[in-house]
Amino acid sequence: MRVVLIILGTAIGGYGAVLLWDNSFEVIVRIAVWAVAGAVLHDFVFAPLCVAMGFTGRRLIRGRWWTPVTVAGLCTVVLGLLAIPVFAKPGLRPDNMTVLNRDYPLGLLLSLTVVWACVPLYYLVARLLPVRQDEVVERQGAEDVGGQPPAV
Amino acid sequence: MKPSPLRGTAVTARVGLALGVAVAVCFLTGLISHFIQHPQPWFFWPTRPVWLYRVTQGLHVISGIAAIPLLVVKLWSVWPKLFERPILGGPVRALERLSILVLVAAMLFQLSTGLLNTAQWYAFEFFFTTSHYAMAWVAAGAVVVHIGVKLPVIRRALGEPLDDATAGGSGGPSRRTVLVGTGLAVALATAVTAGQTIPWLRRVSVLAPRSGQGPQGVPVNRSAVAAGVLRSARSPKYRLTVTHGSTTRAFTIADLAAMPQATHQLPISCVEGWSANAEWTGVVLADLVAAVGAPPDSDVRMISLEPPGPYSRTVLPARHARDSQTLIALRLNGEVLDLDHGYPCRLIAPTRPGVLQTKWLSRIEVV
Repeated sequence: MRVVLIILGTAIGGYGAVLLWDNSFEVIVRIAVWAVAGAVLHDFVFAPLCVAMGFTGRRLIRGRWWTPVTVAGLCTVVLGLLAIPVFAKPGLRPDNMTVLNRDYPLGLLLSLTVVWACVPLYYLVARLLPVRQDEVVERQGAEDVGGQPPAV
Repeated sequence: MKPSPLRGTAVTARVGLALGVAVAVCFLTGLISHFIQHPQPWFFWPTRPVWLYRVTQGLHVISGIAAIPLLVVKLWSVWPKLFERPILGGPVRALERLSILVLVAAMLFQLSTGLLNTAQWYAFEFFFTTSHYAMAWVAAGAVVVHIGVKLPVIRRALGEPLDDATAGGSGGPSRRTVLVGTGLAVALATAVTAGQTIPWLRRVSVLAPRSGQGPQGVPVNRSAVAAGVLRSARSPKYRLTVTHGSTTRAFTIADLAAMPQATHQLPISCVEGWSANAEWTGVVLADLVAAVGAPPDSDVRMISLEPPGPYSRTVLPARHARDSQTLIALRLNGEVLDLDHGYPCRLIAPTRPGVLQTKWLSRIEVV
């Protein structure tokens, strides 16, 4: 099964490589640079930034606030990524006003406001609902005993 | 700083499964769109239901956008592995690392170029459609190889309970929180963009490249100015020429309007993922084909007033050409077709990508 998948996947990917090969050398280089730049940007800029934010945030925000804050953080990142191609309307052409015809800064602001408004809401609901004893015990680990700094 | 206990195969495998489903949907719907535009003898594409392409291409963009948060979380869950030693090691490990680089690079390429294309931002200096298509095969192959390599790990992780580790003591998020949070991020990403094809989401889709508004209630992808047809489309000398072999007939706008008119609700569905339903009125194409004495089972070439370019002429397969709902439209939503929608007349056929619904028709050739 595994061997079949690996051979099949190599064949499928190989077909894609053959299709890419139809381009001129210059275009192949541009495509490869765009693809690898994405991976490098993620691994050495985006991911470390997220870790740094998480590491700092964890020290500033304690207790039950942290859970909703992390989810809101993820949502913020996703909204930010989706806003990149529309925020400043780089693809706008004056002859067609049916594309990029929203107020994107306002839209981003509104959606972020909704996301972060959910944080105190979640905090309140979580405080009002009784926490089950089992859940707390179940989720306790060695770290709850020692005084080690919490991990990110 | 040690890695978060939230990371681990329990989360990676589950998010990976969802990502796999999104990628599979995206790949298959993408192939459908490709083969409609580059027909193969074995490829069958029906004319009913009329909204079929609207759904497949809407799903293509929706699943691609849903893959963005899934990929972010998936990569987050495995990121520390990047620094595991040995960095390269033996040839097998080096090969595995290379396959991961191909996988990540191809996925990021597909999602980034696809997202930019929905907003018509061509920041890259290569042709979008061909490179997006070729890289789709690379990404799909890399996913299949990755599943093959990781199959035992995936099976084990999915078979075991979530093993709810918590970051930073009992108050912090659990692995379940990571999964629920990822689901929320996917739902949010869909809500803020999918309104360009799902009308009831329009108001909340604050980051959708299109609001759904446009002349006569329908957005435009290629304007009359961009196509360079401002003068020719409004010329009093305008005629629609229909040919079949040596038979040629020329129709004025008044001739077309005097023919029997049909009205149908048909969606216009763009490859970029937006779509809108509209009421089109015009001459049934099959009537024009019959007017030049051509058999109904012929492919038909549509030629635009637009100067020669990749989409100024298209071939409509016989199945669509003879369909009773395929129109040479003169009116849209009760008004004379706007110049940007293809005045004097345009093709509108069921289950076809918008880019092939040729506007500003000048000539119809029965092939």
